[in-house]
Amino acid sequence: MSSPVGTSVIDRRAIADAFPLFLPAIPFGFVLGLAVTEGRMPQAIGWSSSILVFAGAAQLAVITLAGTASLWAVVVAGLVINTRHVMYSAALAPAFQHQPRWLRWFGPYLLIDQVFALAVLQVDRPPAEFRRYYLTVGLFFFVNWQWVTALGMVVGPIVPASWQLGFAPPIMFLGLVLIGMNRRPQAVAAVVGGSVALATAGLPDRLGILAGAVAGVVAGSFAESDERSEVTV
Amino acid sequence: MSVWSSLLIVSMVGLITYSMRAVVIVAMANRAVPPSVERALRTVGPAVLAALAINLAAGGDGGPHLEAAEALALVVAGVAAWRSRNLIVTLLAGMATLWVFSALL
Repeated sequence: MSSPVGTSVIDRRAIADAFPLFLPAIPFGFVLGLAVTEGRMPQAIGWSSSILVFAGAAQLAVITLAGTASLWAVVVAGLVINTRHVMYSAALAPAFQHQPRWLRWFGPYLLIDQVFALAVLQVDRPPAEFRRYYLTVGLFFFVNWQWVTALGMVVGPIVPASWQLGFAPPIMFLGLVLIGMNRRPQAVAAVVGGSVALATAGLPDRLGILAGAVAGVVAGSFAESDERSEVTV
Repeated sequence: MSVWSSLLIVSMVGLITYSMRAVVIVAMANRAVPPSVERALRTVGPAVLAALAINLAAGGDGGPHLEAAEALALVVAGVAAWRSRNLIVTLLAGMATLWVFSALL
């Protein structure tokens, strides 16, 4: 239950909401930190993606792929992963209409999956309360993400090669797909995307990712319209 | 990989990621995304992440390649993710499977 808004800048309930969502980000941040130390980018620049990009899955893709595919292929792979953020932006736009201009510009910078998942449940609160909640959650994730990825880079070189942590990224991505999945069109998109990616795994320049993504979206969109027509009939 | 091309990649991905997060909030605050576009956007996440998981596991330098232990690790991780809905459990299940079967096979 929300307590009356006090004078405190930090929304304690927002921290309590964010904390359990942050726990799974800890091993993810470690895997990312490891990928930075093992990848082909200079490490400081790899880590700077935590500030400049601030999107775990895209960061992991870009850092793992850099140097194994052309520059454009790496950029496109990172961006395709993040297209879902357009949907987040659309879903929160009504709540941001009542916010000051500076927050409309700064807020999106913090709009990662977890922040969206929490903030979208608060859109009916008064603007001042929404603002306080949104900023608390967003900055909580931002600050913690920085030290977790840095710590991963410190721990990374100590981990023995026999642990095969290089295989952790595909497991993380697979986990993200299945954990976030709750509707049939999404399942269709994932199965088709994965299957096409497997069939095209031998293509140069990691083109199999794009092939799988496009095939998955097309199949998923067909499944969406299919499901709608079933509902309306 | 050179400093400049690395910085270029990270900056471009960062800038466009911010744009995608900001586009509707900043520029289209009074308009709605067409439902058909919204439906297509909803399938982007699962499609891309699945393709990425498979390509990272099986693709890359030297053509398609997947060890039996790696394939098993993905299957077990998939079951763990589906049942637990927990990323830590998923990672532990997948990596433990990989360790056990790379030692055995």
